[in-house]
Amino acid sequence: MLIIILRRLGQSILVLFLVALISFLIFRFVGNPVDNLMGQEATLLQRAALEEALGLNDPLYKQYFNFVWRAIHFDFGNSYRGALPVAELIASRLPATLELALTSAIFALVFGVITGIYTAIKRGGFIANLILSTSLIGVSLPTFLIGVLLIWLFAVELRWLPSFGRGEVVTLGWWTTGFLTISGLKSLILPSITLGLYQLTLIMRLTRSEMLEVLRQDYVRFAKALGLSNKQVHFNHALPNTLVPVITIAGLQLGSIVAFAIITESVFQWPGVGLLFINAVYFVDIPVMSAYLLLVGVLFVFINLLVDLLYLAIDPRLRDSQLNGER
Amino acid sequence: MSENLLQIKNISVTFKTRHGVLKAIDDLSLNVKKGEILGLVGESGAGKSMTGAAVLGLIDPPGRLSSGQIWYKGQRIDQAPETIRGHEISMIFQDPLVSLNPLRRIGDQLVETILTHMPITKAEAVDRARKGLEEVGIDPERINAYPHTFSGGMRQRVVIALALAPEPALIIADEPTTALDVSVQAQILDLLKQLCRERGTSIILVTHDMGVIAETTDRVGVLYAGRLAEIGETRDVLTNPKHPYTKGLVASTPRIDASSFDKTLYQISGSMPKLDAMPNGCAFHPRCEFALDKCRIDRPSIIADRAACWLLDGEETLL
Ligand SMILES: Nc1ncnc2c1ncn2[C@@H]1O[C@H](COP(=O)(O)OP(=O)(O)O)[C@@H](O)[C@H]1O
Ligand code: SF4
Ligand SMILES: [Mg+2]
Repeated sequence: MLIIILRRLGQSILVLFLVALISFLIFRFVGNPVDNLMGQEATLLQRAALEEALGLNDPLYKQYFNFVWRAIHFDFGNSYRGALPVAELIASRLPATLELALTSAIFALVFGVITGIYTAIKRGGFIANLILSTSLIGVSLPTFLIGVLLIWLFAVELRWLPSFGRGEVVTLGWWTTGFLTISGLKSLILPSITLGLYQLTLIMRLTRSEMLEVLRQDYVRFAKALGLSNKQVHFNHALPNTLVPVITIAGLQLGSIVAFAIITESVFQWPGVGLLFINAVYFVDIPVMSAYLLLVGVLFVFINLLVDLLYLAIDPRLRDSQLNGER
Repeated sequence: MSENLLQIKNISVTFKTRHGVLKAIDDLSLNVKKGEILGLVGESGAGKSMTGAAVLGLIDPPGRLSSGQIWYKGQRIDQAPETIRGHEISMIFQDPLVSLNPLRRIGDQLVETILTHMPITKAEAVDRARKGLEEVGIDPERINAYPHTFSGGMRQRVVIALALAPEPALIIADEPTTALDVSVQAQILDLLKQLCRERGTSIILVTHDMGVIAETTDRVGVLYAGRLAEIGETRDVLTNPKHPYTKGLVASTPRIDASSFDKTLYQISGSMPKLDAMPNGCAFHPRCEFALDKCRIDRPSIIADRAACWLLDGEETLL
């Protein structure tokens, strides 16, 4: 087991270097750092001095390793705008995004799996069909439209929930959380639904089709033939086999939730890294953009790793074949 | 041996499809006696598996039992088949590689099945599970192993242990050895036969192999296009088949002593009709060299408790 984990870790580190390379290339070649720092009026001499000082004349590989080295130490330079360290900017925004992503992921997973199982078991039933057709509308609406509709209904018309911001937050060390105040929790609801709805329908459809497939398998028919109750057949036999692929896909979706958060954060003026990134793009704030990309990359790789390990923990076949070195 | 355990009375299984309603089983009747091994033989698509599924109420939609009744120990079961599953009638499927839940230890599956049917403690159930494994020739120490660590033959042994665990009076074995290596087929069949004989458990043994029928069964039913073509004591049917289709089956099986009739006479040409192109009258008539005019119009039912063939009609009146 340890060997597998180490091997997966090695692979992940390799991928991270690649992500860092892309992030570095953007940092180095999109726009001109010197232009950005000095403006157009600087003399050639001044420019050359700055280039030398920034290490822009070093061989590319050296610059890359410098970049990685500094990234490992959370040093992404200063934002062009406001000249704050990028790492500080991101650290102050990250809790907002992670709490939003986590809440939507749990929302999507719980309701996706429950409705998926329900629509599979009650296949063809009235409520099941209703859920399925409603979900079709859900997928076809763009995220920002869902957000705007929710704001209109729950914030403007009914005035139940706030339409923007995080509400009151509590500071715990460098982390700020909205989980501990009523207004914080209320503020999470609309953005989480907006962000998670698409993933929810995806997970529901996946769970449903996997479950239907599993219910056709001989081991399920055998379990029925042995006189096990519907409950036993569905939950002890069909469900675990359904969840293996669902967890993989759902886990990978977590990464895209963080990525998609950009849109939701804009609609709800949610003070997370997505909003930070949008503003950075607007002002061509290259260090922030590059650091954001690296962050999302790291998150993706980290989530992949977790999903892989989870997968190994669930499926004994995979565990053994990995131990024997086959794939 | 004469008491009827299971009675299948005129059942039909139909499928609603875009091309209309298809009849996979058409007015089939069968009895299974206490302690006997009844073979069901026929080519692929004849309706053997469907018959087994009908008894346990395991026909997948859009198929359904559209008419007829099924009785077990004097009680009608076709309306609530789940009440007899496991502890009265259980089933063994063709492919042991997909019959066991891949994510669960074989012991868990055994204990779960035992506890579902018996009012005993978990520890007692584990004991029973170990005994069950031992009986089918599996080291009880492997109770915590996952299915994928066993070979096909060993997995079918586990499946047999599972099917026997709730102590059913009847086991429907749907081609239990077809998916296995030839070298282990006989072992598995012998094991199943021996364990069931010890317990007085009846078996419906589905197969397309006349050799298996000859070696294993007491009686045999021959299915053709969803209908029962012939039924009788295995020895009688094999040595003196009445239905032209059975004659063809027997003649094309090299292992059976066929000296009592001319082998070359009964080679079956053509193929079984598709469900959506079922001929009128006797379903076998397009392939039958004895077909009479009547055969093309009227469907024969089982005559003289033996075969669904108009040829026996004359025989009976002659007798
Ligand atoms: N879902 C279905 N729709 C239509 N016909 C089906 C379906 N499932 C099975 N059948 C038909 O039922 C008939 C009997 O099948 P089966 O009992 O599996 O045959 P056997 O086990 O003798 O090979 C076959 O002709 C098959 O085509
Ligand atoms: S009923 Fe007629 S067609 Fe059918 S098997 Fe007998 S002789 Fe042949
Ligand atoms: Mg079959």
